[in-house]
This record gives sequence, structure tokens and C-alpha cells, in this order.
Amino acid sequence: MFRNILKSGRRLAGLGSLVAALTVAAPALAQDKEPIVFGGSIPLSGVFAFAGVHLHAGLTDYTSWINSQGGINGHPVKYVMEDTGYEVDRSVAAFKKITGSNTVPVYYGDSTGFMKTIASELNSRGTTLMSGASFATALTDNEQYPYQFIPGPNYSQMFGIILEYIASQGEGGEKPTVAFVYSDTEFGKDPIENGKEKAAELGIDVVEEIVTKPGSVDVSAEVLKLRRVRPDYVVFHGYVLSPINEFMVQMRQMGLDTQFMGTFWSSDKLIIDKMGADADGYMGVMPYNYYDSQESGPMLDALRAQAEKSDPEAGYRPTGYMQGWFNAMVWTEVVKRTLDAGKELNAENMAASLASIKDWDTGGIIGVPVTAKNMSFPVGRIWRVNAEEGRYEPVSDWIQLD
Amino acid sequence: MRIGDAKQTYEADEAIWTSPTQKFWFALFLLALLVFPLMANAYLLYLGCLVGIAVISTTGLNILTGFTGLISLGQAGFMGVGGYTVAWFSLNTGLPFPVTLLLAGLLAAAVGILVGLPSLRVKGLYLAIATLAASVFLHFIFAEWESVTGGMGGLSLEPAHLFGVTFQSDFRMYFIIVPLAVLMVFAARNVFRTRIGRAFIAIRDRDISAEILGIDLLRYKLMSFALSSFYAGVAGGLFAYFYRVVTPESFPLSMSIFYLAAVIVGGMGNLLGGILGAAFMTLIPEILKLLTAALTPFYPNAPVFMSPMLEIIFGALIVGFLIFEPHGLAEIWHRIRRFFSLWPFRN
Amino acid sequence: MDWLFFGEISLAGLAMGGLYALIALGFVIIYKATRVINFAIGEIMMFAAYLFLAFAGGLEMSPWVALPLAVLGGSILGGVIEKVMIRPMLGESPISVVMVTIGVASILVGLVELIWGADPQLLPRFLPREPVFIGEMYLAPKIAYGFLIGAALLILYLLYFRFSRGGVALRATASDQAAAYSMGINVRRVFNLAWVFGSLAASLAGVLVAATGGLSPQFGAIGLSVLVVVIVGGLDSILGALIAGVFIGWLETVAGAYLGGEYRMPATFAVLAVILVIRPYGLFGTHEIERV
Repeated sequence: MFRNILKSGRRLAGLGSLVAALTVAAPALAQDKEPIVFGGSIPLSGVFAFAGVHLHAGLTDYTSWINSQGGINGHPVKYVMEDTGYEVDRSVAAFKKITGSNTVPVYYGDSTGFMKTIASELNSRGTTLMSGASFATALTDNEQYPYQFIPGPNYSQMFGIILEYIASQGEGGEKPTVAFVYSDTEFGKDPIENGKEKAAELGIDVVEEIVTKPGSVDVSAEVLKLRRVRPDYVVFHGYVLSPINEFMVQMRQMGLDTQFMGTFWSSDKLIIDKMGADADGYMGVMPYNYYDSQESGPMLDALRAQAEKSDPEAGYRPTGYMQGWFNAMVWTEVVKRTLDAGKELNAENMAASLASIKDWDTGGIIGVPVTAKNMSFPVGRIWRVNAEEGRYEPVSDWIQLD
Repeated sequence: MRIGDAKQTYEADEAIWTSPTQKFWFALFLLALLVFPLMANAYLLYLGCLVGIAVISTTGLNILTGFTGLISLGQAGFMGVGGYTVAWFSLNTGLPFPVTLLLAGLLAAAVGILVGLPSLRVKGLYLAIATLAASVFLHFIFAEWESVTGGMGGLSLEPAHLFGVTFQSDFRMYFIIVPLAVLMVFAARNVFRTRIGRAFIAIRDRDISAEILGIDLLRYKLMSFALSSFYAGVAGGLFAYFYRVVTPESFPLSMSIFYLAAVIVGGMGNLLGGILGAAFMTLIPEILKLLTAALTPFYPNAPVFMSPMLEIIFGALIVGFLIFEPHGLAEIWHRIRRFFSLWPFRN
Repeated sequence: MDWLFFGEISLAGLAMGGLYALIALGFVIIYKATRVINFAIGEIMMFAAYLFLAFAGGLEMSPWVALPLAVLGGSILGGVIEKVMIRPMLGESPISVVMVTIGVASILVGLVELIWGADPQLLPRFLPREPVFIGEMYLAPKIAYGFLIGAALLILYLLYFRFSRGGVALRATASDQAAAYSMGINVRRVFNLAWVFGSLAASLAGVLVAATGGLSPQFGAIGLSVLVVVIVGGLDSILGALIAGVFIGWLETVAGAYLGGEYRMPATFAVLAVILVIRPYGLFGTHEIERV
């Protein structure tokens, strides 16, 4: 009964491996080659912990898996992380601490704020390539952030994918109308300007834009506004859960047949778990296959096997897990390409290796071969919640932007 | 009180150094500050710079809250003014850092005066709320005045520079931040040896009595606001140079509360307290992280509880110090010192 | 101008304002009796809402059992806070006491994160879901019913203060502490009672607000809006809390609807700033005269 009160999944999935990661993760490989260090500022606690614990598990499990495969070109991989609580100053402290005592070619950043803050140091060090939890559009600016990449489409590209999907849904030459609902944060405002341009390009009418605070707010007035314009689609961005649920429930109570869509961090199972039947029909853009999707592929199977092995009780693994795993996959690929070319492992060479990724088969993590463009992978798919089954199901093909 | 420490002149009473021993220890401390960056690794250096910035801002808030008795929830907002000023000038004019930092301080001081204006009519908690309102407006301006502040995305700025030298690394920033912190604490110390500082203290102790004694309340309260915001502005400017990016989310309300907590934990109305409080509060998360790391092998879930524990410790420190040690860390420090200077006697 | 739209928006705002009034009432009761500005009120609301979540969600109790239990839990929490952390501060400067409540707020946030985690949560549904129409105007059901429950408690409350022994003791203490003391009123108990009752109002409002907007450890930020309400209404005026609560709720919603969500806070804080300049003690507050 007491467990019930505390029901919130507070366990760290794959915990055995956490201990290993924090102490010495260097595995029992026979090689005496230098280990390659994956560094990370990881939000294990704080407001982003709901994703942080899972992306940490993804990174940890990937590290175990790659080491069981013989590491990268015979180099064992070591994952070194520190908790940040999702605070920029502590993320920076973790970065300094980890890079101070290791040679770190690749690093996981936990927030846009951190990644922007560390950029100048990253650029002057020139030793480390970084990706992380952020899909911020700004980070794909190669002038300012040459050594940071996005492990998927950036937020603007996610909007692009969503809008292309919406455009394809029009009937008889009529394009559907759309409203953007976003939070009053850097995260929330990120893709809005680009999204409006893209909509204009596709001939989609953006009939309303609504800004709210993220989290617990009363949105009934905003719902009334949407009732006036009756958009065919509402696209949410910059939220995790609330107030998406409130918009959906209230607008359906009004009898509107609007479709609801969201971007990566608001397309997790959390939406289904918390909203239950109300989540039915909600759509999200996701660059990776869901853990429990019907898809398969060698890498996806390996991921499932490894997840099963590290924590048999965990069951479903959220999108954060996939995100962490995919980050590490890209790092591996980049390091491997750089080593294969006989080049030194520095940021410039690795960024060049990243740019050279073309039609790369991700083994089922992403359903189509992917190509790096401007330090991002602009590909994704629209998935729709089937509340009865309790999962997301694909409703579009993989959409690639040019 | 030291034994045989009877002061015979006002000069002696006001002196910063009361004994050669004090001078000696202080010189040693300065030397340690100088040697520290040569010995420290990147991580410690980074923390050193953070503490330096926090010391400046805490000292500023201490002037206002600790010495003048005006509580402010706007410190982060004033720091933001400083940060954005530095960012804007460094982007648009390329002025060297002493000039931009001075401008940051002055602009923040001007905003501080504006915010302090209601302080003649309202005081105490109402004033605290007025400063809270100010920080809401400032946040709004940072977020919406896109042509100047870059909107929610904020501004990225060039490294600080002077005479062709750029201060790109933490190592170099340390030599801006820490000397400035020492200088500004000294300046504050000197303020309290003048009429102005004494007027602040008189206002804190009883403002109406102070007015009867001929202290122009509005003038001195505004002066206190200006001085305090000047410190905040400089700290914010250093923050901007240090992180080289400012966004509206860099200066949240929780930051204002953090500095208030630093003042309380350190000791209100005590400059040494401000320093101790700033250092202590800045380092707590890192100390706690070491603890969690030590606990993790035995209790693997420990990292998950770190942030909540931090919140609890943060609150408990505020409450605990207010109830049990209202004079803060400074008082504990004095007690330790007294113990040694009186040893082997008990008191 | 679309008057129907304006009407609907206003109605939504007024309903929200009703909940603000309820929270502000809790705030004012504490201030009136003990002269403590309670910055932790948002966190007390949050704590009660999490209790509701635990009872109704975790233990699967009926919401109508869980609601009183959660409110009771929140009230006890208020009493405990007073006893353990506020009472030792008796006689200290108001600034110190306010800082204690800020510390309490931080502790409560940490506790909630420790017990329930930092994930965003939704409360189990317990209010009817059929839309409410007043004339042609639509009103979201959660808000409408939330408002009704809040208003019911508010009336009970006012009656209690008017007629019961405890209520009279509270009012007596508020108007003259020394006189109340000499008349045999146990002032310490009254202080505790004020915290219990203030937290009770806040707890109920907390569950209702969380039911409409969801719950997370950042929920306590709503306390800022309430701060505006009580300053505008006057810290020691129950009437002021009610009127200002409804007004600020309305203003916030209308500003959000017509100007955009980023204007909600600045709009209400602008009113606050104007009030501070022209009537520093609020619309209905008592102007205190200081003597040396």
C-alpha cells in the first residue's frame, strides 16, 4: 500500500550499471588500448529528471553493449557522468570536473542553456564534440556552435515534419488550418518563427498563436480563443504534460474535432500514462522508433535485449532511453570514422566525420537510412496514441526534410 | 572581545585592522587567493570564479538588507540589468571590460533608484513586494525587448578584453573576478566607516528615530538601493563575461532568494558574513554531490534524491540559521576566533 | 468587439478569481492574527494537492473521501509549521519571519520531490465533465464546479468567524493582542488556529486548482499571483481579499486572452505597482500609524 502512495517510478532503471558507471566503467576487455570516454552532464534529479534517469540508462546500457561488442576499434568505452539537477551552473561544473580528469572526445549536455553556455569553451578547447537533450534550433548554427550537433531533427525541423504531415492531410485542395500553442520559455519559443514561415510555404493557415506559462495554469480562456477559430490542428511545443491535457479535454468537451500534436519531449509515454483515455488520438513527432513499436532491426533488437538484460523489471523504456542510446550510437560512428581515417580525435575532425554521415543505416532505431545535414538529422515520423493499447502507433511514413 | 583591547581614539575604533596578527593573516589570505589559480584544476577554478561573483552580489544585497534593513527580492533582476548591459555594450561597441562593467553597475544603480522610490511610502514587506514586482517587469523586458536583449534566446557575447588581452579562460577571468571582489568588499567596509554607512545602520535600527536625528530617509534609502544595485550590476556583468551568454532564464527569481539566503546564512549586517554565506551556499551543491557519490555504492538510488535533498537543505539552512544562529556563519567564525585568541582561558 | 467572447473570458477569469479569493482568505487570516506574511502558502497548497493525489490516485479512495482528508492534512501541516518554525520566531523582525516562510517553502518543495518525484502529475478526475452554459456563454466544468465548492467553503468560513467562539477569539486577537490576552484568550492557541484555518482554505484551493491545471513541484509559483491579490486588497482585510481575488483573477485572464500569455504577470504586477504608490496599504487595508 505504501508503495502505491509513492507510485511514481522513482527507481533508476538499470541501476546496477549506474554504480559501475560512477566507479570504474572500464570493462574487462583484454585490450590495453586507451579507453574512449563518453562524458555527460546528466539531470538525474530536478525538473528534467523524468527524462534524465532514462537517458542515463540509455547511455549506460549502450556503453555496456558496445563494450560487449569489442568497443570502438578495440578501444573500450567508459561512460563518466555527474548529476546536474538540470541547473546550468552545476552542468558547467560537471563538465569542468569530467574534462579535467579525463580526455573526453564526446559529451552529453543536459539543456539548451548549458550547451549555449559551454559553447565558447568548447570552441576554444577544440577537443570535444557535444550533443545532448537539446534539439534547439540555434545549436544547428555552425558558425557559433561548430562542435555541437542534434541527435535528430531540431525543433524547427520537427515543426517542419509536423506541418508537412498536416499539409498532406488536406482534402480536395483545401489545406487544414493550424494553431500553435507554446510555452513562454526559450524552449517554447524556439521553433515558432520558422514554423510560421514553413506553414506559409506549405500554404497552411496559422489561425491562432497562444502563449502560456508551462505547467499548472488555468487555460480555459485560451481554449475559448481556440473555440473561436476552430483550427483543424493544434501543435503544442515547450511542454511536458500540462497544460496539453487541459486543452485537449476542454476542447473535446466543446465538441471540437481538432487534432492535437506535439514535439519530441511531449511525445512520451508519460502523456498516455497520466491522461489515460483522454490521450487517445494525440500525435507526436518522433525521430526514433518507440521501444514497444512493431518495428525491428539489428540495432533495435540489440537495444531491447540490452535493456532487458540490465533491468528485467523495467519493461517499457521511454523515449529518453532511445535518445540516450542514439546519441551514443552517433558518437561511436563519429569516433570510428575519425579513427578509421587515421585522424586525431579532436572536435574538428569529428565534426567533419559527422558531416560525412550519409545514408547511414541505424539498424532500426530510425526506420530509414539517415544523412547528417547541418549537424542534425532532419528525419522523423508522426505517431498517434492508441489509448486502448497504451502506445503510440505510426500514422505517417518517415518524413525527411531537405 | 579581546583582552587588553581598550580603544582610546575614534581612529582606533574605526580602524579596519586592529592588530598586526590580523594584518598578517589577511596578507596570507590574499597570497592564498593569488596562488590558488596556479594550483587549482579547472573545476576548482570554476568554482572559485563562481564564489567570487556570488561574494560581490551578496555583499551588495547585504548593504541593502543587512545594513539598511530593506528586504529585496529583486537582486537577480538587478544582476540581469548588469548582465545585459555588458552583453549589449560588448556586442555593439567593443568597449573594454572595465568600462562595460562600470556601465553595468551604473545602469543597475539607476534601475535600483527607480525601484527604491516607493521606499519612502512603503517599507518592510510591502517594499519586498515592490522589488518582486520590479523583478517581474525586468524579466518581461529581458524577454520581450528583442531588438536589444535578443528575446528569449538571449545574447552571446565576446570575451572580456583590455589593451588587446582577451580574458577567455576561467584562469584569466579569475584575475578579473577575485581582485574585483576583494576591492568591492573593501569599498563596502569603508562605506560603513563614513556618515553614509552609519546612516544606513541607523535607518535599519529604527527609521523614524533616524529621521528625527536628521537623516534624510529618502535620500539614504535610495543611496542604499543604488549602492546595492551597483554591486548586483557588476556581479551580473561578470556573470555575463564568465558564461558569455545571457538569457532571461539566467536570472530567475530563485536566484534572488539564493542571495537572500546567502546573506542570512552568512550573517545579516556583517560583511564577513556575506563572504562566508556566498561561498558556503555556492559550494553546497558540490559538497552534496561528493556525499551522494560516496553513498552511491551502498545505496544506488542516491543520485535521484540529490535535488530534493538540496531543496530541503537549502530551506533548512535558512530556517535553522534564523532560529538558532541569527547572526549567521560570521558569529560562528567569531566564536572560533575568540576561542583561539583566548586560549587557554575559557572566556 | 465580440461581447460574447468577452463575457466567456470574463466568466472564466471570475471563476479563477474565486479560487484566488479563497487562497487570499487563507493568507489574510494568518496575517491578521499573527502578522506573518506566509510565502509558503503556494507550497502548502501544493502539498495538499499531492496528498489528494496519494489518497485518490495511489490508494484509490473515492475523491470525496480523499478531498477532506487532503484538506485536513494540509491544515495539520499548517499547524505544525506554526508550532515548529514560526513560534520560535515570535518577536523577531518581520523580515526574518518572512524568510523563515521562504525556507519552509523550499523544504516543502524538496519533500514533495522526495516523496512523489519531480514528474508532472494529473489528479484523478472528480468533477463532472459536462460543459456548463450560462446563457450562451460556455464555462469549463472544472472551473465552474471548483468555483462552487470554493464559494461554499468561503461562506462557511465567514459564518464561522462571525459566530463561533474560535472565530471571535481570532478576531479579538487580531484587533488587539494585549487586550485579548488579558481577557483570557489563549493567544498562542489562536496563532496556531489561524495557521490551521489559513492552511485549510489554501489546501482546498490547492486541490481545486491542481484539478484544473495539473500538478508538479513548481506548482507553488501560484503563490506569487496570490501575493498580488493580498497586497492589492490589503493584507489585513478579508473583504479586500475577496474583491481583489476576483478582480485579479479576471484581469489576469483577460490580459492573457487579449494580449497574450506573456502579459498575465506583468498586467497584475502593474496593478500592484500602482496600488503600492497610491494606496500603500491596499484598497481595504488598515493604515498603521507608527510611533517611536
